[in-house]
Amino acid sequence: MPLTVSGQINPNRRAKLDPALLPLLILLWGSMGVFVLYPLARLLYMVFVVDGAGSLANLAKAFSSWYNRKALVDSLILAASVATSGTFLGFLFAFCVTRVSLPRAIKWFLGAVVVLPFVSPPFTSSIALTLALGPNGLLLKLLHVPGFNIYGFLGTWIAETLTYFPVAFLTLAAVLGAIDPNLEDAAMSMGGSRWRTFRTITLPLSIPGLANAYLLLFGSSLTDFATPLVMAGHTFPVLPTQAYLQITGMYDLQGGSAISFVLLVPALLVYLLQRYWVERRSWVTVTGRGGAHAAARGAGFTAEALMLAVISVLTLFIIFLYSIILWGSLVKVWGVDNSLTLKNYAYVFTVGLKAVKDTVLIAITSTLIGSVVAVSIGYLVSRKEVPWRKTLEFVSLLDYVLPGTVVGIAYVIAFNTGPIVLTGTMSIIVALCVFRYDAAGIRATVASLRQIDPSLEEASLSLGASRKTTFFRVTLPLLMPAAIAGMRYLFVVSMTAISATIFLVSVKWSLLTVRILECVTELLFAEAAAFSVVLVIIVFAAIGVISLLFRMAYPETSRQLRRR
Amino acid sequence: MMKPFNSKSRLVILALLSLVLFAGSVSAGQPTLNVYTIWSERYANEIFSAFEKDAGIKVNWMRFSSGELQARLEAEKGNPQVDVVFGNMAEAFVNGIPKGLFAPYKPKGSESIPAKFRDSEGYWTGVALDPICFMFNAKFLKEHGLNPPVSWQDLLNPAYRNKLQMADARTSGTAMYRLLSLIQAMGEDKAFAYQRALNANVQVYTKSGAGGALPIARGQAAGGIFFLVDALEVQQKGYDVAISYPKEGLVAGIEAMALVNGAKQPEIAKKFLDWASTARMQRIYEAGRINLIPSNPEVKVTNPGLDMSKVKVLPLDLKWAGENRDRLVERWINEVLR
Repeated sequence: MPLTVSGQINPNRRAKLDPALLPLLILLWGSMGVFVLYPLARLLYMVFVVDGAGSLANLAKAFSSWYNRKALVDSLILAASVATSGTFLGFLFAFCVTRVSLPRAIKWFLGAVVVLPFVSPPFTSSIALTLALGPNGLLLKLLHVPGFNIYGFLGTWIAETLTYFPVAFLTLAAVLGAIDPNLEDAAMSMGGSRWRTFRTITLPLSIPGLANAYLLLFGSSLTDFATPLVMAGHTFPVLPTQAYLQITGMYDLQGGSAISFVLLVPALLVYLLQRYWVERRSWVTVTGRGGAHAAARGAGFTAEALMLAVISVLTLFIIFLYSIILWGSLVKVWGVDNSLTLKNYAYVFTVGLKAVKDTVLIAITSTLIGSVVAVSIGYLVSRKEVPWRKTLEFVSLLDYVLPGTVVGIAYVIAFNTGPIVLTGTMSIIVALCVFRYDAAGIRATVASLRQIDPSLEEASLSLGASRKTTFFRVTLPLLMPAAIAGMRYLFVVSMTAISATIFLVSVKWSLLTVRILECVTELLFAEAAAFSVVLVIIVFAAIGVISLLFRMAYPETSRQLRRR
Repeated sequence: MMKPFNSKSRLVILALLSLVLFAGSVSAGQPTLNVYTIWSERYANEIFSAFEKDAGIKVNWMRFSSGELQARLEAEKGNPQVDVVFGNMAEAFVNGIPKGLFAPYKPKGSESIPAKFRDSEGYWTGVALDPICFMFNAKFLKEHGLNPPVSWQDLLNPAYRNKLQMADARTSGTAMYRLLSLIQAMGEDKAFAYQRALNANVQVYTKSGAGGALPIARGQAAGGIFFLVDALEVQQKGYDVAISYPKEGLVAGIEAMALVNGAKQPEIAKKFLDWASTARMQRIYEAGRINLIPSNPEVKVTNPGLDMSKVKVLPLDLKWAGENRDRLVERWINEVLR
């Protein structure tokens, strides 16, 4: 495979861990121990120790039911389908934004629309989807399409693909953006067609990104409980929802946790496969030998036209869905009294104001702490000889692959009694956001470092720069796109997460998504829609601020990225 | 060249330290009553602000769905974060007693609440009743020349094929009481045969009890089986829905309250439980548009929507329901879904 740019480069070569980094490593391991391993150990104890002795009774009970066994199979089918379709769509969008010559404004607009489903809380987007495509759906009436049953695999698949393909888009846009267009240029000047260049250069070089995106999406879908809660109905059970129902419907904490522990097996398998596959090859493209920057090349006219057509339809569909929510937030009673009003927003900024403030504070804190943690872990595991390196990377991703309901319960159990009591505080929510959702940042950092030749850093060192200078002047600027992607992801999920955090909110700290779920269950749909719109606006503002700060801090890197 | 901590590690240390500091900064707070409830924000506000006014004790409360409340209570066992659970379904309390989640306390004045609405040992006291009902989209009924259903058998009408929404048997509350209503009305075997037949008319079994309410209100589905409190809420919002009851009978859910085992402020908690057992508390329902039926017969309701005098309400054996719940749900999955 024509992947390596030059034969002698090995991106997996690691430097000895210098003693200055030792405290950092100890801190990271310490926090992993406290915030990842300890809660899970407490939960494992609860599930697998019955009356003081180890027992598989809880697990056996859960899987004696054919319905739960079906849920396991369905979960895997769903996760694989969502990961495939989501990665595909994410790649299409990322390719168009980074490689096809479109006006800047359109690219910005595409990027903004794409993240909409991801930044909005799952309940509202699922409701919008049923209003559009469900029985008597608005869109079906509009297009005179006969109704079909959206509840089940189809609806869940569509909703989750819409929700998660932006994750693939963000991951892949960073990776594609980092591929030096000069490579593609060279291929074409040697006579390769655009399509051939795409097939033999661009696509293979995106493989680490694609694999990452697939893993992230597979994991997200595998552990998502909110979308199936609304969309899956009874014909298509999935494990996280079964676990949630076992806990909340049957009052069976042990049984529910046992069900969700089974999810660890497929999640682990995908992780190991991905490691095996991506680690064996070299993906270096940032070698420091770059000349003048060439304009990015597309994939050929026909391919581009096809891509743009798919993208336009999807973009229009997303806009349609979100107009339903926007409209719903502006009318008095959805479907009955359609006169316009701002009272739903008044509700958000009076009754809901505390939730808005708390959520923003929590999201900002989590993003700051989480991105530092993510870059540190990503950097250490890919560049340094760290004891138990693989274990560290694995542990850091553990909370991400477990369903939120389980992690949330584990946190309550672990931090309610015992040496560390955190229930009812803001730190417990922040800790959960940081250690559950920095996975994206870590993966993005690892993926970008895989593209960056360590000889760049070695050159800097041999020219006499200190390690510190090298890290801050060479490595960090190159890592910035990945770090930014990680930050954006962290901020967004801190704002929209619900499955785990619902168990951690308290009288003192409330969250927007929990309020939205409350509104939905209390049949306050207009208020739920208004909350969602406010949430989306805050997230967009925050993403804007993050990009702006990045531009100010690293004008050079950001200029290069924009030029692409 | 090398300092003990480079600026990178310093940053991380700072970040992690601030985490710990946040943890420490939360103080114990003033002596206030802490409560978990499943009642909606508006309902809960009416009750707790009345208590604050009457007793001068501030109430910190949080709202969850019935099962989330229970899961949280169980996880917090050993260091409970609240003193009182208010308004959860009686079967949740029955389930929580052997788990040691609640402490017995017979509130003063609870004698005026009929014995069937409270635990004989004082573990829980029922404050309100919430019957099962049919809720149908009025426009759909009119367009199809149908009357609101008045019998369980009416729901089998082929006109409703793929048009009904109701809760999944595993969601707490609504679905459980639907099952119990059917068993009480027609016996267990007939109840399951009936549900098998009904299955053809069901568009989806929703995962939350009120999940089908909006689809029905908006005409995406024709109707379904709900708790009265949810159906009335939809009606009050302005949606045109018809509420009716099966003539064979139904059961009503009991919403109750209890003292949490190991409550940090048992005295204040008992004060609240005493207060909430009075007729005065249940009179707030009517004034505050709380669509629940008082458990205290001294409290009269004038809202015709809550008048159960013409509705056949069947007795409910909570102990039997608790003991048979897992079996019934299993049977529902095996016989109705399969």
